[in-house]
Amino acid sequence: MRAIDKRSAKSRQKLGETFYSAVAYMATTFVCVWLLKHPLSDSGTSVRAVVSLIPLIPIGFAIRAVIRMVRDGDELERRIDLEALAFAAVAIGMLALTLNLLMSARIIEISANMATVWVLPGLLLTYACAKIWARSRYQ
Amino acid sequence: MNNRVRELRGNNGWSQAELADRLDVSRQTINAIETGKYDPSLPLAFAIARLFGESIETLFNPDA
Repeated sequence: MRAIDKRSAKSRQKLGETFYSAVAYMATTFVCVWLLKHPLSDSGTSVRAVVSLIPLIPIGFAIRAVIRMVRDGDELERRIDLEALAFAAVAIGMLALTLNLLMSARIIEISANMATVWVLPGLLLTYACAKIWARSRYQ
Repeated sequence: MNNRVRELRGNNGWSQAELADRLDVSRQTINAIETGKYDPSLPLAFAIARLFGESIETLFNPDA
């Protein structure tokens, strides 16, 4: 079995935190959307506002884990994170621009609600994939 | 950039993980330096040289 240094073990732990937070975000989003459409559809504004903002909690944990991972990394890990984050930002930006142009031409139709909900999870998912690619360049 | 990190690590009987812990970097960083895929920063290069009791010039060869 390959020996694992302390830094790599910590990095894996934080990657796990990010993954579980992202899963929790998706689960809470689906539950909250269902609650707002069905049992809470006639509730007051304040209740609906609180329930609608619940998914911010797990996504906050995911962002915190990513920030800690980048901050605690060594110089190569920071370079890999920077390359992955830059790629993810450009990829998601280009995807949003492409979809917007196609929507302007009335070729596709996506609700603004759906599009905005998937920006942050899409960014985190693309970052994770880009990190695997960036890491492979230094192996 | 060519370097003698793998050779000196082997002489000391250290694994990549052990060297990584001594330098407070990841094992991946040590592997990338040894294979020449990543050139360390000046502070890390000095730390490696100090650990092995060598000078940077004898450890890293930019002409290779």
